[in-house]
Amino acid sequence: MKAVILAAGEGMRCRPLTYTRSKVMLPIANKPTMEYVVQALHDNGITDIVIVVGYAKERAMSYFGNGHDFGVHIDYVEQDQQLGTAHAIKLVEGLVADEFLVLNGDNLVSEKTVADMLKNYSEGSGGTSILTVHKQDTTGYAVVVGSGGRVEKIVEDRKVKNIHNVNTGLYIFDQKIFDAIDETLQSDVGEFGITHSIQQMIDAGNEVCSYRTDSTWMDVVHSWDLLGVNSRILDDVYESIDGRIEGTIGDRADKIVVSDGSVVRAGSHITGPVVIGRDCEIGPNVVIAPSTSIGDNVTIEPFTYIRNSVILDDVYIGSHSTIRNSIIGENNRIDSHFITASGRNLLIELGGILHHADELGSVIGDGNVIGCDVSTDPGTLIGTECRIGTGAVIRGKIPNRAVVI
Amino acid sequence: MCGIVGYLGTLEAMPVLFDLLKRLEYRGYDSAGIAIAGNSIRTSKTKGSVDDLVSVTPNVHGNIGIGHTRWATHGRPTSANAHPHCDDARGIAVVHNGIIENYTEIKERLIGRGYEFRSETDTEVLPHLFGEHYCGDLEASVREALSDVRGSYALAAICESEPDKIVVARKGSPLVLGVCGSDFFVASDVAGILKYTRDVIFVEDGEIGVITGDGIRLTTLDGTPVERDVETMDLDPEAAEMSGYEHFMLKEIFEQPAVIRETFSGRVSSGGIDLDLGMDLRDVERIVVLACGTSHNAGLFGRYAIERFSKIPVVVEVASEFRYMNPIIDDRDLVVAITQSGETADTLAAMREAGSRGCKKLGIVNVLGSGMTRECECLFTRAGPEIGVAATKSFTSQLAVLLLLSVALGSDRKVLSTASVNEFVYELRQLGGNIQRVLNDAPAIKECAALFTDADRFLFMGRGANYPIALEGALKLKEISYVPAEGFPAGELKHGPLALISEGVPVIAIATRDTVYDKLLGNIKEVEARGATVVGIASEGDTEITKYVNYVLRIPDTNPLIAPILSSVVLQLFAYYVAYHRGCEIDKPRNLAKSVTVE
Repeated sequence: MKAVILAAGEGMRCRPLTYTRSKVMLPIANKPTMEYVVQALHDNGITDIVIVVGYAKERAMSYFGNGHDFGVHIDYVEQDQQLGTAHAIKLVEGLVADEFLVLNGDNLVSEKTVADMLKNYSEGSGGTSILTVHKQDTTGYAVVVGSGGRVEKIVEDRKVKNIHNVNTGLYIFDQKIFDAIDETLQSDVGEFGITHSIQQMIDAGNEVCSYRTDSTWMDVVHSWDLLGVNSRILDDVYESIDGRIEGTIGDRADKIVVSDGSVVRAGSHITGPVVIGRDCEIGPNVVIAPSTSIGDNVTIEPFTYIRNSVILDDVYIGSHSTIRNSIIGENNRIDSHFITASGRNLLIELGGILHHADELGSVIGDGNVIGCDVSTDPGTLIGTECRIGTGAVIRGKIPNRAVVI
Repeated sequence: MCGIVGYLGTLEAMPVLFDLLKRLEYRGYDSAGIAIAGNSIRTSKTKGSVDDLVSVTPNVHGNIGIGHTRWATHGRPTSANAHPHCDDARGIAVVHNGIIENYTEIKERLIGRGYEFRSETDTEVLPHLFGEHYCGDLEASVREALSDVRGSYALAAICESEPDKIVVARKGSPLVLGVCGSDFFVASDVAGILKYTRDVIFVEDGEIGVITGDGIRLTTLDGTPVERDVETMDLDPEAAEMSGYEHFMLKEIFEQPAVIRETFSGRVSSGGIDLDLGMDLRDVERIVVLACGTSHNAGLFGRYAIERFSKIPVVVEVASEFRYMNPIIDDRDLVVAITQSGETADTLAAMREAGSRGCKKLGIVNVLGSGMTRECECLFTRAGPEIGVAATKSFTSQLAVLLLLSVALGSDRKVLSTASVNEFVYELRQLGGNIQRVLNDAPAIKECAALFTDADRFLFMGRGANYPIALEGALKLKEISYVPAEGFPAGELKHGPLALISEGVPVIAIATRDTVYDKLLGNIKEVEARGATVVGIASEGDTEITKYVNYVLRIPDTNPLIAPILSSVVLQLFAYYVAYHRGCEIDKPRNLAKSVTVE
């Protein structure tokens, strides 16, 4: 069976990180989210993959190449305009024969998740199938209503009483789906989500099955959700020290990864789980506390403390800084005494709507230059390519290319 | 410059040969052909690409064959001049990469003995010469015939009366054999056979190989047996795929952040630059850089960097000129040869010429196991396989290696203080990320390029270390878009090139912040006053420039000797999009080939 991964979306709610990358490329434990999807497919013997790319496609294509490094073969299809999942799936017509698996590239799944779907499908009656998970709070998800594994209705954007089965976006389709999509695309609704096409099939009397899984299925809705997902995945890493640690290691020594070419200098202290990429220079006297991922080619100067954070590639962090519950994008140059204050139960405004964050410091986009002695209030979002002057206290949202004095 | 392939084994030879040829098409694509051994030798050849060959070739069965994709040197690209060339009387077919220098003499002699020639190529003397010496043993006849031949060759031959073997020979042109159980492959380049096997044997100069179902047997030209171990190549066999990109060139441009991180890995740290060079360069008094084409532009940049950081005088020579000018070189010189492929014939020959005068030798090379790596100690650029004919990532990685070399030399000689090395390292570690930021801006560059789709000429100008980048920007543009483009040191314009400027002629000015920034603004004024449309490449945060130019393309602010790498990426994208908007065949520009393995 072939698999189709949908990877064309920007993920606007994950800005500022998605100004420069698509949502599927958000890093979790130093790997793009989509790599977990590819890995899960590979581990189930599915090695023929079509990825539908669109927004910032180059990064994904450069990273995954033809799939060789991941033990799979990848072809790409481009979705020029983001006209929804139905339109995206329509683009693979002719590239997939018989039944095929569809997954979202930005949902984290495990080998078992895909295995659950395949097993249920092979034991069931075939045809169109949807994988669901149980969510107490179904806000923002499509709920799947039905009985005895047979879907009666998919409801988007609306809660249904006592229904907690939400759609994972993981499907098996056969060729009939393309006709249903044609009808959806011709409808006046202006909505080209694949759930509409599935509803169309149900309404036309086709059987659509749903299976529930309790295996991993994680969704990054807002940029800051990355912290939670990152910490969950870090709990599953295994010790691997290819770089050099001159400093000391605290608890959870079995959950520390330091890649080739990196050095953690004397007097530093690392408590796992922590993942450090290639060619990093950390310390001396730096403390890295649990649930932190640090990308490739990162420099962290002395007396800096980092906890529960995600630092992307090519970042420089000056001495005496404290970074907690924060995400620092690529290629930031941050001078000394940088503090991200962290707070709980925050409300953050995105696109005119307030969104909730349990616990957050700051989320910082790519390529900013931040001067000495800058601090950020809890829930600060900084765009890309900003210049922030010495001693500034930043709060709220800073747009791209802003200059803050 | 021509690719040769061969296959002997358990599979149908024809599809394998086509596939191997496709992978070598970057070496030439103006005509192609194959020959399959069997009861008789059956050949098929045509003018055009491998795809054209596939479409005209009827299905031929057989498990042994040879093939060729050509970049014309002797004789126009026609079907008659396409390889394989044959001696019909003896049923011998030959494919050849290189140049037979004394072919006219041999040809006349053979014509005198009644041989008929059907092509204008130098190669056609080979099958006839093999035929003339043939007494039932192809290997022996190749060995005898080659003693009459001057020039360079990598060749593969098959013979109708010995349909169980391929004979190969090499002198001066690359040749590699692949082994996978009882399947054997012949190719001009490892990239050709990696899909089938990673186990390869490099044939060396002056060796003949005989491939049969039992294995490969190597001997020298005079018949001494050679023992050669099989090497296992650590390369991604599928790197030569476009992975969703429309062109290899664009794919390779977008690989540059990762390439630069790879180039620097293990070499750049707060402790300084560690190049792990196995030679002592402390008493070097002068550096001579030898290179061709894009690598020559890299060399010109290297001159600014090395002189600036190490105070060692540098001269940069075009390799094909250097060879013939009776160069003055001695043991106080370090000669640095820059070649992506490591097989550039002129650069290799120039290096040998220099080496014979007792200098120290260093190569800056991308391809592992290539000719240059057998010639001297090499610094690898680690850019990975580059398929697009227009060099992109190989150029920026050459610039990066030259920067590392210059800082290493400067710090060895105490010209650079530890503090300035550290400051520079800090900037170098940002380079990969800074290139990514230029790439994030690709849509703006695409839009800007669209404005100049119909321009009939371009001028590029820069000063100091940006001058070689102007040359490279112009080279990139003319290579792939066929629009005349020239690069100049900005101060030279008033000494001639200004006459080329008229209303609306696009001038690309590399105007990043450095010591000659103000001078360059003056030069922009000069062209603007004569009606040019000026595109400035400027550092971010530079507001002054907008007063001088019509369009600005930005690069992140960095050290003036690192900025040229970022400007190069902008110019690569600019050239790509101009060619793209003009509808050009970007990955296969007319008349060009990737590695120039002929002189």
